[in-house]
Amino acid sequence: MLDVHRVIGSLQQQRAGFSLDTTELCFLVMLRVRGESAALSDFTEDLLYDVFAMVCETTEPDAQNVRKRATHAIQRLREQRLLARVDGAGIVRAGDFTLTTLADAIVTYYLHEEQLTRESLAALTGALRSHLTEVLQRAHSALIPADWQQHVLAPLRHSVRDLVSGIERRQRGMDAQQEEVQQRISELLQRDWFQALDKCESLLEETTVTLQELGEILLRDLGHLQAQLTEIESLAMEASERESEEAAQALAEQVDRVLAWGASRQRVWSEYYQFVQSYLRNVVRLDPERALSQRLRDQIKQLWHAPYSLIVAETAPLRILREDTEVVDRPPVFRPRELRDRPPEPAVADRRWEEMEKSVEGALKAGVPTLHELLERLLPDVPPAERFLWTGRIAARAAQYVCSDEVRDRSFVPLSGEARRCGSDGLILTIQDWKLSGRRP
Amino acid sequence: MTLGPTHHNIAEVLEDSLFPEVDIALRQGRHIHRGETDRYAFLCEANDYLEKWYRRYCCDLVRTADGYFYLLPQQEKIRKRQLSVAEMLTGKVLALLYLEPATVQAGGVVHRTQAIQSLATLVGQENLMLRFNPRRKRRDEGKEQEQVRDEFGRALRALGELGFLDRVDEDHVRLQPPILRFVESVRGADDVQEALREMIRVGKAAPGQPMDDGDGTGFTEETEATQSHEDAP
Repeated sequence: MLDVHRVIGSLQQQRAGFSLDTTELCFLVMLRVRGESAALSDFTEDLLYDVFAMVCETTEPDAQNVRKRATHAIQRLREQRLLARVDGAGIVRAGDFTLTTLADAIVTYYLHEEQLTRESLAALTGALRSHLTEVLQRAHSALIPADWQQHVLAPLRHSVRDLVSGIERRQRGMDAQQEEVQQRISELLQRDWFQALDKCESLLEETTVTLQELGEILLRDLGHLQAQLTEIESLAMEASERESEEAAQALAEQVDRVLAWGASRQRVWSEYYQFVQSYLRNVVRLDPERALSQRLRDQIKQLWHAPYSLIVAETAPLRILREDTEVVDRPPVFRPRELRDRPPEPAVADRRWEEMEKSVEGALKAGVPTLHELLERLLPDVPPAERFLWTGRIAARAAQYVCSDEVRDRSFVPLSGEARRCGSDGLILTIQDWKLSGRRP
Repeated sequence: MTLGPTHHNIAEVLEDSLFPEVDIALRQGRHIHRGETDRYAFLCEANDYLEKWYRRYCCDLVRTADGYFYLLPQQEKIRKRQLSVAEMLTGKVLALLYLEPATVQAGGVVHRTQAIQSLATLVGQENLMLRFNPRRKRRDEGKEQEQVRDEFGRALRALGELGFLDRVDEDHVRLQPPILRFVESVRGADDVQEALREMIRVGKAAPGQPMDDGDGTGFTEETEATQSHEDAP
């Protein structure tokens, strides 16, 4: 298998490279043409000098020392492996030279032999079909590994692959041709404008017809080739011939690439064709004087003085309604303030305490002997609900005016008469009785 | 052999599976050209019925000799808008590139850089910055240039949505025949101003406010005043 890293390393080590000027290239082309026309297998040294002088007259008419230049050119071409000496006589006599395969490939490219014409493609696909039919027959009848190697693998690897590669090479030629046509159309319009209309249209049509025919051939023949390759692959798989299977598979992939190329070029050319047709129809035909560009250029420069805008339709933007939210009325925040100076309010004076004090004082002066008797005398004037409270007050007041006796064991006695009722539930007021004797000093 | 018409009345047109997408595209302001094969063929075939249909919406379904359709609202039943200054300038420069024979070689594909360079050459870099940055008071050249590029990018996107061009990749666009709408006012050899007045009269265009030529400060101040007034609540 090809080791690409090794190849690159080797090329780098050899410092391989090319440098061909126009005269040298023309020299190679001329040699090839002379060789073909005169059926020469090699070229004598004299012939090389003659051809070089002839080419030089065209490419560099003012050149001096043509023979010396030819010597240098031949030497450079030999160093670059484009010319090879084939006689092996060394210095004994003048040599015979031939073009190497490398030079042949370069010249072939420039001679446009790689152009994918309908005829060349048809011839190639025809040859491929017959080869593959034969290989298929051999695959059917192959019994031993040697049959597979000799009659299936070898043709698949060499002759069939060369033919498919030939189609691929010619595709590249077709790509270059398309590019050239596009460039020519552009140049023709640039130079001749309206007068170039017919030429452009015919160029466009020619390429379109060629592409259509190529597309038809590719679709028809390559489909058949793929079927043949698939069958060979299946047979190889059944016979466990791994190499043949892989070779058939690789070729099928190559054929796939060719088909994809055809479809891609059809699409690209179709877009280009439509564009140019539209251009010729809408621009060139309607503006034979080629004044439109200038008028537009002037308008762009003056657009500020008389601006305008084109009108186009527009869809309304999508309207999204918001949710209805409850608005809370928040009062402003402030510090609560209290009025320091309040106006006077009328009120009824409560004199009961003073009056009760006088009554207690009066009763004690009159000589009431016990607290029990004092309360029975004063409490009937107090509402029953307040009697408990006033009992405590009267006792406290009495204690301020008189001294109590020294007896510790004072008995609890209920009040009698009206004074005994306390509260609203018929409770009876009971007190610890004191003896009241003498005034407090 | 010739094929008969596919649709015989408006009901059949409306039932066509292509109608919804074509209708939406037209209402969005899209220009439908020959490259959009199915849509264009549908519009050509149903043109008579659709013209009447859209007239009920106070719109004209315009079919041009350059091979494209678009919807032109005459009232507000279907919304309409004017192209912005950036869109107009970009569209005009792209139309100019479309007319160049050099563009033919690339099949109508132009590079963004090529377009913005042409714009700067024709309008002037300083002028361009003024047009595309009317709000800016303090002028930082780097930022303004960036703003111009952004505006240009936005204009390209908008023009793409309207069908004037297709985006090929990040840097390239393919110009389509509707771009010739930007050339309409200079198509005839007659007076350009008269052609413009006619376009405005039939509702294809709207006049803009004349601006100074960008050599002084008047434009900026005036525009800023207008803008701040517009922005006020």
